[in-house]
Amino acid sequence: MKHVKNMICSLGLIRKLGLLTLLMSLFLTTAFAQQLTVKGKVLDEFGEGVIGANILEKGTTNGVTTDLDGNYTIVIANAQRAVIQFSYIGYNTKDEPVGDRTTIDVTLDPSVVNLGEVVAIGYGTQTRREITGSVANVTQENFNKGVTRDAAALLQGKVAGLSITTGSGDVAANPTIRLRGISTLQNDRGPFIVIDGVPGGDMASVAPQDIESISVLKDASSAAIYGSRSAGGVILITTKRGSASKTMVSYEGYLATSSLANKPDLMTAEQWREYAKSKSLDTSPYDKYGANTDWFDEISRTGVAHNHSVSMSGGGSKNNYRASFTYLSNEGVMRDNSLEKYSFRFQFQQRAIDDRLRIGLTGSGTLSDRNDTEARNFVLAYSLPPVYPVKLSDGSWFDTREYDQGNPVRNQEYNTDKFSNSLFYGAGDLSFTLMDGLDIKLSLYKSRHMQDRSQYNNSETERGRDNGGWGERDNQKWDKNLMEWLLEYTKAFGASEQHRLNAMLGYSWEENEWSKARVANRNFVTDMLGANSLQSGQGLRANDIESARNMNRLISFFGRAHYSYLERYMLTATIRRDGSSKFGANHKWGIFPSASAAWGVSQEGFMQDVKWVDDLKFRVGYGVTGNQDGLDPYKTLELYGTDNTYYDNGSWKTAYTINQNPNPNLKWEETAMFNIGVDFGLFNGRLNGTLEWYDKRTRDMLYTYRVPSPPYMYRDMMANVGDMQNTGIELALSWNAIRTKDLQWTTSFTFDHNTNKITSLANDLYTTSRVYVGDAWIRGGSGNTTHVVEEGRPVGQFFGWKFLKFDESGHYVMEDQNGDGIITDDDRTYIGSALPDLTFGWNNQFNYKNWDLSFFFRGTVGNKVLNHSRMAYAQSGYLIGGNALNDPLVYELTEVPKYCSLYIEDASHIRLDNLAFGYTFNTKNVSWLDRARVYVTGQNLFVLTGYKGADPEVNMDRNNGLSPGVQDREFYPKARTFSVGVSLIF
Amino acid sequence: MKKIYSIALSLAAVCTLMFTASCTDLDEVVYDKIPSDQFGQTPDQINSIIGPVYKTLKAYWPGDLFCVTEESSDMAVTPTRRGGDWWDGGVHMELGLHTWTTRTNPLNSSWNACMDGVSRCNQVYAIIENTPMDEALKARTLAEIRGVRAFWYYVAVDMFGNVPLATDFNNTEVPGTTKRADVYKFIIDELNDIKDKVRPEVNSSSYGKFTRGVAYTLLAKMYLNAEVWIGTPNWAGVVAACDEVMKLDYIIEPDWKTSFLVNNEVSKEIIFPITFGRTDGGNQLHYRTLHYLDPITLGMNIGTWNGICANPEYVAQFDIDDKRYEGSFLMGPMVDPATGLVQITAHGRELIHTIELRTIENTEKDGTLWGEVNQEDGARVNKWVFEKGLSSSDQENDFAIFRLADVYLMKAEALIRLGQDNAEATRLVNVIRERGFGDNSKNYTAATLDDVYLERRLELAWENVSRQDMIRFGTFLQPTLWRTKVSEPFRLLFPIPNAAMQSNDKLVQNPGYN
Repeated sequence: MKHVKNMICSLGLIRKLGLLTLLMSLFLTTAFAQQLTVKGKVLDEFGEGVIGANILEKGTTNGVTTDLDGNYTIVIANAQRAVIQFSYIGYNTKDEPVGDRTTIDVTLDPSVVNLGEVVAIGYGTQTRREITGSVANVTQENFNKGVTRDAAALLQGKVAGLSITTGSGDVAANPTIRLRGISTLQNDRGPFIVIDGVPGGDMASVAPQDIESISVLKDASSAAIYGSRSAGGVILITTKRGSASKTMVSYEGYLATSSLANKPDLMTAEQWREYAKSKSLDTSPYDKYGANTDWFDEISRTGVAHNHSVSMSGGGSKNNYRASFTYLSNEGVMRDNSLEKYSFRFQFQQRAIDDRLRIGLTGSGTLSDRNDTEARNFVLAYSLPPVYPVKLSDGSWFDTREYDQGNPVRNQEYNTDKFSNSLFYGAGDLSFTLMDGLDIKLSLYKSRHMQDRSQYNNSETERGRDNGGWGERDNQKWDKNLMEWLLEYTKAFGASEQHRLNAMLGYSWEENEWSKARVANRNFVTDMLGANSLQSGQGLRANDIESARNMNRLISFFGRAHYSYLERYMLTATIRRDGSSKFGANHKWGIFPSASAAWGVSQEGFMQDVKWVDDLKFRVGYGVTGNQDGLDPYKTLELYGTDNTYYDNGSWKTAYTINQNPNPNLKWEETAMFNIGVDFGLFNGRLNGTLEWYDKRTRDMLYTYRVPSPPYMYRDMMANVGDMQNTGIELALSWNAIRTKDLQWTTSFTFDHNTNKITSLANDLYTTSRVYVGDAWIRGGSGNTTHVVEEGRPVGQFFGWKFLKFDESGHYVMEDQNGDGIITDDDRTYIGSALPDLTFGWNNQFNYKNWDLSFFFRGTVGNKVLNHSRMAYAQSGYLIGGNALNDPLVYELTEVPKYCSLYIEDASHIRLDNLAFGYTFNTKNVSWLDRARVYVTGQNLFVLTGYKGADPEVNMDRNNGLSPGVQDREFYPKARTFSVGVSLIF
Repeated sequence: MKKIYSIALSLAAVCTLMFTASCTDLDEVVYDKIPSDQFGQTPDQINSIIGPVYKTLKAYWPGDLFCVTEESSDMAVTPTRRGGDWWDGGVHMELGLHTWTTRTNPLNSSWNACMDGVSRCNQVYAIIENTPMDEALKARTLAEIRGVRAFWYYVAVDMFGNVPLATDFNNTEVPGTTKRADVYKFIIDELNDIKDKVRPEVNSSSYGKFTRGVAYTLLAKMYLNAEVWIGTPNWAGVVAACDEVMKLDYIIEPDWKTSFLVNNEVSKEIIFPITFGRTDGGNQLHYRTLHYLDPITLGMNIGTWNGICANPEYVAQFDIDDKRYEGSFLMGPMVDPATGLVQITAHGRELIHTIELRTIENTEKDGTLWGEVNQEDGARVNKWVFEKGLSSSDQENDFAIFRLADVYLMKAEALIRLGQDNAEATRLVNVIRERGFGDNSKNYTAATLDDVYLERRLELAWENVSRQDMIRFGTFLQPTLWRTKVSEPFRLLFPIPNAAMQSNDKLVQNPGYN
């Protein structure tokens, strides 16, 4: 019944909207549109005309560009209201109110960072000068180049404080994104994603080629407008839009090849034989095929990727549009790993009623097919003796049933794990100017994401043989309905309009629904049907059939007020009241306020004579944000769910049980952050920078805490107990080192340092102050934990024995912490943290005439990584029936590997992540071609590190982020990629 | 003015809209679960709520709790295999050498098995108590739930002694430790109270339920160990309780294997089974014990783990003519039926399961005799019939927690200890022995206590009784295999696991473990 009621609610709103429009029309004033033609010239700092500068009537799509001499002519509809905006790359954007002028000449100020740039800040925009919070903006010129899959790939390393970690070479895997540290214990999902104003978007739904800019709301004073979901920060993605100034068709395409950048250094057949000889071991049971197999070579390949993007955009004085199509095909370096993706997008905006009514429509579709790699194959490739062949001499497959062994190539050849995803969304927004400065806006949005997984393990292969073939189909569906109302008011007052006020009020109603249906079966008579005829299997079990469905609803009221005086003194305050269905009856609603202020020192009168300071602004802000990501629906309720089957009188029947300890007191996890920062632009725009410090405190942390049973049914329970703190400092610097007509060199650095600490983990009811987490399972070594979550320690704290040396007999000598003469679990201690002390990025951009060159380094200092592969495979225990790493430990160590500090390695590194070299053709004389550029890029070219494993940058998301920094035993090695591309605009 | 008025009006309209009740409605619509107040109304629903009470029994055997009881005694061992398989941080060595600590993980699982069982019973009891249903059925059902709870307290009092006693699910106060003697008394009182409320029948509908037979067998077990647990023996109680069981319709199955078949629910000897099915799983003994290549010989299609095997000293007690010898242990060469040849392991050795566990030189762990053995060493479990053609599945064979043979031997033991009716005691032992050997050639004329002890070990190998029996017969602390010294007496009880102490600070640690 309830969802029906809600539908009525939204329908009612739409009906009332009609009423509202009627109301609005009552007070429509008819303003006379004074048409006016404005001319002028745009000049650079040398007094020369700027070619191709953009001139736009602000707030409209009406725009033109300057000609070869820097001249322009634009026809303005309403001169009284109009503001013309002049912009060009490398210069600060400038606004000029038209008034009654007919000639406006402007001189643009150069700047590495465009202070006049309009930046998305969440439910609105601001220019860089006006911003009081901590917001970083990256525009398309600065995006990472080469093969990119989504927004995260464009942004990696570009924003101080935003860490994007790629844990493997898997082309289908998502990176771990964290802003200003880990902020929760329960399933940290990183920053909240907003796409073109739609909260909770999916990065995969936007092709990188469609993105114009990405804003990162770093501190709570800017993020708090997104309330209960913004504790991990917010990433706002703005897509490209059409412009009336230019009708253009563009094509971007590239072709790339990827190969293994670094593979595990396993013993070769030669080394294996030598080892056997040195130990006088009989190799005859194994070495009877004359094979020399490098199993990692066998399961990997050179992957080919190609991408084609076509877009067209344009518009008239009353409308604009953009439509695009992107195709990406990307093969991973593992033979069974691939991704193919089709993205469609269109946007159309129309103005009417004297530009008072603006209607926008957006449609987007993303269809993707991918095949996930079988991680098990890495274990097999590590374990198989190099003297086993892939195929026998008669062409049949070689295979073995020994533990952790089997033919990985055969697995790849016959098994599939296909995901077909379709993600569609449509958005409509309607905005109306009620009176000068007062707008009302309604946005409606609906999206549907469907995923169909089809998996089959052939009965002949290592994966499928125990089941006699195993197949699975898993369908999932995510629906989202969203309605938002916004009321915006902008007013400038005072004699010379020195006071500016901007206020916004909003309401949002969002409903998410998820459902799934899954079927698996096993023991097939034939493998021919794969997962396409699961009913033919003969081994159906009770939990092979599964369906599930849940929903949650989020309702919010929010507002923001921004005041500025001559861009000298600026104040922003926001408040959001969020209600979520997921919380307990007494805690459904939460309030998230924020306030921030900025002092634009450079705008003060006394600074006008200080010529070397172009811009200087101090900012301070405080805000409270929330997190509910880690909380699944229905956690507060006492519910019956199925519990497999029970035996009764000769038959098996479905059992039901109350399947959780319900906690009706579940409430919002709150994160308060204090931020101070300074932005500066010095030496005539040559040096720009931002320095920030923050203190971020999370309280009432949602986590699954241990409780005693009895009295509780289950030994764990979701509750709000602990506290956590992150403090950090961030620095971003851009220096325009060379700026001449022909040659430019800009170099940029980002640095950030974050300290994470769990400040509390227990209260009266939940008494555990240390939780052992993580699992470094190796053969013969189960039950070890790798990390602790503990009061006074950071998340990612490695905990284990401290290794001293090996004794003469090849046994570990561990440090006896408590001095009792024996090594027990009590001698474990803190052996490093997976979190870095410093994260940095260094970008260089050179332009010489038509040539451009950029290279980008990024890295970390001080983080530790557990080399789990080395722990599992640098040992002689399974030689010569298996294989081992070509590592001194194979000779030194004589016992089962133990988890200890020996395997915790310093993973400080610097990586040449991206290098791009391009040439832009002179198209002045080609009437049909606007721009043409060709380029080559290299990605992941080299890594300098002391780390002994395959790659020092590893999965940070393991175990819901509580045991980060582990190079998995099944680590998917990374790729090195070279691409060649072309970009054409017609 | 008019304009401002209009704006105000439209704003008011928007605001009214926003605060309309349904637009601030945050009630959860639950789709794939059932709110607790809307379930448990029909007999089928009620049954489905009770089901999980019996499902708790799966944690008793053959998982960690099984390893703890059989490996801490001299019955079984999970040796570290060449290369380090099953070393697992030394947990199996700790069980075998009696050096376990509060952090030894299988002890934690065993504790959890008991406490989860108790909590589940309390939870379901609280639900059924408040469910409107047929009063007679309700009384019996509540008695059954109390019976299963009493069973879990029996396991807890045996292994851990002093445990938290909780009976009311609605009382959320965290319980402290109750002394072993008080827990003992609680169990006896509970069993006495319910024994006539549960059903006495022995048929297919009572199979797998807590019946009168179970209640009396459990009472017999309690009295049998009373001397150890509370310091006061009650042998007469054992005899009386066993007599009550023997009055019921159970029989000693003529064929010993009947109780271990794939479909052993046909056995009338089984008093209290854990019911295992393939769809629900739980009987993973074949995975745990068989070598990776054994399934090829046995005609099964499963990836096994090569873990637990018999302690050679235990196997040595068997008479070679005893059908239970090969009926309990898988020994000898494992032949590939396709080639007719003995299979070869990854270490290039013939797959012949020896009884002996031969430590490979220089693999001993610091200062102990515990070292690595070859993959093929050790006699494997062969008691429950392996299902030919089984494909990647748990086994269906039920496990008899209690069966009539055990009751016979309990009564015999009690009679001998009481010094009463040796003829009857001898008869009872001989019934079991004669079935084991297939004829009366090995029958006793006058059974002694040692004879009963031996017979229990021959009959009940792998059945989770060896630790309790050895403690009662005073042999538990004696050296065996790689354990060279007599253990300290505090090892007769296991410690309260560290994890349990951490989440309940009212618990008191057992002596010797601080």
